[in-house]
Amino acid sequence: MANVTLNVNGETRTASAPPETTLLKLLRENFNLTGAKLGCDVGDCGACTVIVDGKPVNACLMLAGQADGREVLTIEGLATRDKLHPLQQAFEDRASLQCGFCGPGVIMAAKALLDEIPDPSVPEIRDALSGNLCRCTGYTKMIEAIQDAARTLRGKPADKAA
Amino acid sequence: MASQFKVAEKRSLLETFREADESLRLPAIAPPVTYPLETLVPQVRQQTPAVGQRATRPDGRLHGLGQTRYIDDLAFPGMLYAKIKRAGVSSARIKSIDTREAEAMPGVMAVLTGREIPVNSFGPSLKDQPVLADTLVFHAGDGVAAVAALTEQIALEALDKIKVEYEIMPAVYDPVEAMKDDAHKVHGPNSNIYARKVIRKGDIEKGFAASDHIFEGRFSTQMVEHVPLEPHATIAQWDANGRVTIHSTLGRITLGRADVARTLKLPISRIRIVATIVGGNFGGKNEITQEPVLALLSKKTGRPVKGTFTRTEEFIATTTRHPIIMDFKTGVTKDGKILARKVRLVLDGGAYCSWSETTLGKACILSAGPYNIDNLLAEAFVVYTNKTMTGAMRGFGAPQVCFAYESQMDDIAAALNIDPLDIRLLNAFEEGSPSPTGQVLHSVVLKDSLLQAAQRFGWKEPQQ
Repeated sequence: MANVTLNVNGETRTASAPPETTLLKLLRENFNLTGAKLGCDVGDCGACTVIVDGKPVNACLMLAGQADGREVLTIEGLATRDKLHPLQQAFEDRASLQCGFCGPGVIMAAKALLDEIPDPSVPEIRDALSGNLCRCTGYTKMIEAIQDAARTLRGKPADKAA
Repeated sequence: MASQFKVAEKRSLLETFREADESLRLPAIAPPVTYPLETLVPQVRQQTPAVGQRATRPDGRLHGLGQTRYIDDLAFPGMLYAKIKRAGVSSARIKSIDTREAEAMPGVMAVLTGREIPVNSFGPSLKDQPVLADTLVFHAGDGVAAVAALTEQIALEALDKIKVEYEIMPAVYDPVEAMKDDAHKVHGPNSNIYARKVIRKGDIEKGFAASDHIFEGRFSTQMVEHVPLEPHATIAQWDANGRVTIHSTLGRITLGRADVARTLKLPISRIRIVATIVGGNFGGKNEITQEPVLALLSKKTGRPVKGTFTRTEEFIATTTRHPIIMDFKTGVTKDGKILARKVRLVLDGGAYCSWSETTLGKACILSAGPYNIDNLLAEAFVVYTNKTMTGAMRGFGAPQVCFAYESQMDDIAAALNIDPLDIRLLNAFEEGSPSPTGQVLHSVVLKDSLLQAAQRFGWKEPQQ
């Protein structure tokens, strides 16, 4: 067993897990943060996307030990008690998700994109979502929602840190 | 005097009660209700206010928050993890299964083989699929044994410790080969063809004789997996009262309940299936897979047991779309009017029937396309091969035949130098056209749709 201490959604958390535990398994089983999903377990589908130190990563490909001492943001850390994150709001308004299984990963990938590029073009959005598979929607409404959220975020720069 | 007064008082009191009671009653005869004589019924195909409106989904917020609980997001106290050992050989006789070493592993709570399953067969129509293969292996994705352990890692290691001895048998992988008399018979002694359908309309010989041109072509499609983002997942709990609760990604829980009851030889009232939000189905989660296995593992261990398929298992051990080999022979006049068509479809059914009969019927009926063809002969066969079983998937055979008849339509248009749109308009169904099985069709807007689509994307405009 190995001890891991990391910052998850602004909270310092510690867990003891076997060395082969992935970050995804740690989040889902030790911290009960089941938003990130296991879709393929080989880094193809992106359903497990979380943000580690500002970069989107496939949590199924990162060992829990590799995340030791780092800052992890999951889908559960986006909304506050009173307010959805503009991305979540836009995804809801546009009905961008159908079965929803890929949703948390897509939203986290989009969040990482908007943190870096506040005004992304459609090719840039498509590029950012290239690691996230969706079998229901055809991506169109997701791209529209990300554009909506980008506009909202640019209108209120103070919210950007959320 | 005093008693008379009391009587009056009582009467008035009773009268008050009666009035109070009366006021609560509905009138004995309801007042007449006038219904509007002319109700607002929208015209057929009239645009309703809903069209073009943005609609949100009631479950959309939870999806976006990551709070939707799919099966794999659930956990119960004391839950074990199950894994299934896949055969890895596509056609074999199982000589022996040795599970002793796996059972002795620390952390392994139970091992299950096919012989322990009360009724080891299931299927939506033909019951030809074993829950876990016990004597014969029909395709490489067949499960041969299952393990329930404290962690997934231990369960996976235990699978390696299970020793299965196979006697490899001949196999057949090509559906056309499988139809031959001397081919290996996947199930039983007779034939690999397990369902067929023939549609006859008019006289194709006369139709071909009257045709100016005859076009022949073979079209084929490949096997397709649904790839729902959420893999099949199930949690089974066998309780002390002999009741089984199954949380499952099943799309058809009523059918699944009957199948589980049959395989476990339990009254259906003892099976409870709970379905939550499914992370993508597309037809691939229409029948049971590992549910009876997990239920029996739970019975053996007295603990809840969860099983989640890996992506590999999704590809090799769940249903897929039927590959179809499609021979089309079509006779047309020199103007492009179709006079006769002969279709022969060979569906690769894989190792088990699953929803093949439905797919066969739909592919056969729709193989003529949305076109008026007076002389038609459509024959369709579905055959067993030693491959992953094929079953329900969006369209049930319709997309495959659509690929074939529309491809041939383009071939005919090109050969006769007719505009591809015009040849379709010439042959297309109209209001009241009969389908190949004689159904009279209503609300047919095929030509309008084609014309509007062509106009919208500028089909007739000169190409750059």
